Amino acid sequence: MVPDNMKEQLALSVRSIHWSYAIFWTDSATQPGMLSWGEGYYNGDIKTRKTSQGIELNSDQIGLQRSEQLRELFKSLKTAEISPQTKRPSAALSPEDLTDAEWLPGRTLAKGQPIWLNNAHSADCRVFSRSLLAKSASIETIVCFPFMEGVIELGTTEQVSEDLSIIQQIETSFLNSLHVNVPNKPGATLKSRNREDLSYRAFDHDAYNVELTPEVGYNIANTTSPNGSSNALQATQQLDETFMVERITSGTFQVQSWQVMDDELSNCVHNSMNSSDCISQTLASPEKIDSIPKCNNPSDPCGQDSEKRNNPKMTLVDPRSDDWHYQRVLSTLLKSSDQLLMGLHLQKLHQESSFVSWKKGGSMDCQRPRAGTSQKLLKKVLFEVPQMHLDGLHESQEENDYKEGMRVEADEIGMNHVMSERRRRAKLNERFLTLRSMVPSITKDDKVSILDDVIEYLKKLERRIKVLEDQRGVTDLETETRRLPEDMVERTSDHYFSKNSNVRKPVTKKRKVSGVDDTGREIISDALKGSYVDDVTVSTSENEIVIEMKCPSRPGKLQQIMGAVNSFNIDFNSVQSTEADGNLHLTIKSVDLVGVVQRSPTVFCLGNLLWSLLCIGLLRVLWLVIS
Amino acid sequence: MEQTSQESQLGSSNSVTYESPYPIYGMAFSSSERVALGSFIEDYTNRVDILSFNPETLSLSPHPSLSFDHPYPPTKLMFHPTSPDLLATSGDFLRLWELRDSSSSTHPLSLFNNSKTSDFCAPLTSFDWNHLDPNRIATSSIDTTCTIWDLHRSLVETQLIAHDKEVYDIAWGEARVFASVSADGSVRIFDLRDKEHSTIIYESPHPDTPLLRLAWNKQDLRYMATILMDSNKVVILDIRSPTTPVAHLDRHRASVNAIAWAPHASSHISSAADDTQALIWELPTLASPSGIDPICMYSAPSEINQLQWSPTYPDWIAIAFANKMQLLKV
Repeated sequence: MVPDNMKEQLALSVRSIHWSYAIFWTDSATQPGMLSWGEGYYNGDIKTRKTSQGIELNSDQIGLQRSEQLRELFKSLKTAEISPQTKRPSAALSPEDLTDAEWLPGRTLAKGQPIWLNNAHSADCRVFSRSLLAKSASIETIVCFPFMEGVIELGTTEQVSEDLSIIQQIETSFLNSLHVNVPNKPGATLKSRNREDLSYRAFDHDAYNVELTPEVGYNIANTTSPNGSSNALQATQQLDETFMVERITSGTFQVQSWQVMDDELSNCVHNSMNSSDCISQTLASPEKIDSIPKCNNPSDPCGQDSEKRNNPKMTLVDPRSDDWHYQRVLSTLLKSSDQLLMGLHLQKLHQESSFVSWKKGGSMDCQRPRAGTSQKLLKKVLFEVPQMHLDGLHESQEENDYKEGMRVEADEIGMNHVMSERRRRAKLNERFLTLRSMVPSITKDDKVSILDDVIEYLKKLERRIKVLEDQRGVTDLETETRRLPEDMVERTSDHYFSKNSNVRKPVTKKRKVSGVDDTGREIISDALKGSYVDDVTVSTSENEIVIEMKCPSRPGKLQQIMGAVNSFNIDFNSVQSTEADGNLHLTIKSVDLVGVVQRSPTVFCLGNLLWSLLCIGLLRVLWLVIS
Repeated sequence: MEQTSQESQLGSSNSVTYESPYPIYGMAFSSSERVALGSFIEDYTNRVDILSFNPETLSLSPHPSLSFDHPYPPTKLMFHPTSPDLLATSGDFLRLWELRDSSSSTHPLSLFNNSKTSDFCAPLTSFDWNHLDPNRIATSSIDTTCTIWDLHRSLVETQLIAHDKEVYDIAWGEARVFASVSADGSVRIFDLRDKEHSTIIYESPHPDTPLLRLAWNKQDLRYMATILMDSNKVVILDIRSPTTPVAHLDRHRASVNAIAWAPHASSHISSAADDTQALIWELPTLASPSGIDPICMYSAPSEINQLQWSPTYPDWIAIAFANKMQLLKV
């Protein structure tokens, strides 16, 4: 496709007219209908790029070397282009049609006529997408003309008014030196040949042109041709798909060029020559994408969609946007590597991304923010959750204050009925939670179920106690009947217990000495109707359990008792035993109960109930051992 | 469990949705595939659920045996910077939990209480685990203080009266430097080497508009981001130019609820708001007069309350709305 000495020819011709660069765009080998980089020659000085005079001072070698670099760069782009895993460009990088990048050459090819663009740097980027680059490289004039099934693009840093003789001159020089056997009017040939391949291209471009020309004040030698417009009408859905493919390719193109740019920042101008297309695509505002589908035939399936996105404002040229683009191009060029990585990252994954490109004004399907509190949950977390904890704090203080008989701060309690109610509920919930954890086989979480299960569990325990009592009662009746009737109905009252047991049992005194405080609870064995009332006593205080028992001394009895006690998984750290009158007196004390049940002080708040359950269990086991 | 994990795959190839029985607020990525979710129930009993995320199969598998009860909703969840077996929660106290795979259970490891006089310390609004020195956690409290904890020794390293009002969020920058935001409307930076002074680097424009959240850019410590109460703006601060934000990201159409910097890139930040959108922004090196547009967006079915960017899988962002968590591919 590209003649071997094309580069030399480009170099020759570009230097012959003292212009800055020449690019030969040719029909892509891999994608018919698409123009791609054929050959290029840069004829400028990077640092003094304003002086076109310096061009000739550059040695051929350097010039060709640079061109080679351009070629290398493009090779890498091309590899990416044909690689199977082409990824769709990221939403982050406003996917842009490659045809747009090649718009100027593309249109030239489509029409087979030269296009002369002055003030390239100030051209709207939608017309000449590399205008941004042109700006940074001070390129003023750009000329595109069809040549050899391709397009030659020339640019210079000087303002050159339209002069077809220049084109003629170059064309001639090419034709002479290349000895190609193309007709003298390549444009005409191309026109017919490309009609098919490029119809969609023409459709895009020319449709654009119609919209933009009246608004943008730059010089385009050729305005929309009727041919192009008619092509536009012929555009089919199928072509749209092709168009999509191109977009995808351009995404890859971008990735590659970014990488290269990162590597060759020093060669900034060179690289940007090629990659500026990509960059400006990248940064082109989303409106641009929007207006492309707008050109669709409204009757096609996408019509609705494009209509929906149709925003009259989008086609307006915003004078600010150019500056903005320029800034962004520069910042993109100068970005640190990790940003590029991020860009690549976003780009690479776009195909699978959940995110879509952000659009000004938002997509239509986005819900309007609902009325009501904003940041509802965040505020609850920050403002109300701490209050919940504080309620717990106050509640606990109230309890402490009550216990210590201190005056409770007025502002901390009951000022607000709602608050106290909430507190009460929190307290209840906490207790229910504890209760739930105490009873096995809780089926459901709701409060009624918890209570039901607790009732059931208690009944079950009572029944078992009854059975045990009955068994004991029979034996007791047979052995001795020393209990008084009053004792049988004795209940877990400290007073009764003290009164009665003080007389009989010195151990009771010991327990008193050990200081059961007012929050402590005890349960004694006289819950059992029958004898041996004081043979086993289980008492509890704030943080310990004390078991006192007396039983006939038999070998192995002690081990038996300890085994039974240990089955409760309670650590007992003190065991005193004495033998007297053939009886074994045993006092067992537990360690800190915190490890036994739960750290939560609320366990205690459940009162005698829970402790009763525990103690009854202990009693039951010990009785079984004794008897 | 297999069934559950299948059920959780409500998403397509680029997102995974997990539907929790409870509304979700707290959310944390670990250094592995583990994810923690905190319920938000306005009651005593709350849950912390542990899930595993597999980006290959796009599945989220709950681990019911590792889930545990939490008193009141946790205000924040965070995994140890390097160990996925340690989880911290804040609420009434800072609590450390150990997730034991061997026994398939979670154990309360320790509870940090800095009050010597009672069983209660002032409720905590947030905390941050120091990524450079994992032995340090900083907590922020409604009692205007920030507390730095020495985890190994379970001791308070230092406690500072940081603000004039409630402190709402806290973030580490370096091993000994942290910043906090408060109901007093200021962002302050503290250096543990000089506890006498703090630097105010931002004050909300209308005095006393509370600042609710703070995120410090771990990839570029010059930048941090904060959000204001009832504001659709994300304020980007440069610590080198105190009091003058470098940017206002104001493309959300309702108040912002959460912000997170990209864990792997220095100029990307994501935000989520009441307008049901999650946006990803790239900070330009040059600010534009017309403001900064986000580069991409995602629309959720309802207000997004939480957003986290996975450090393990940087191409995944998690958002929480209502009772759902959604993992989104970036």
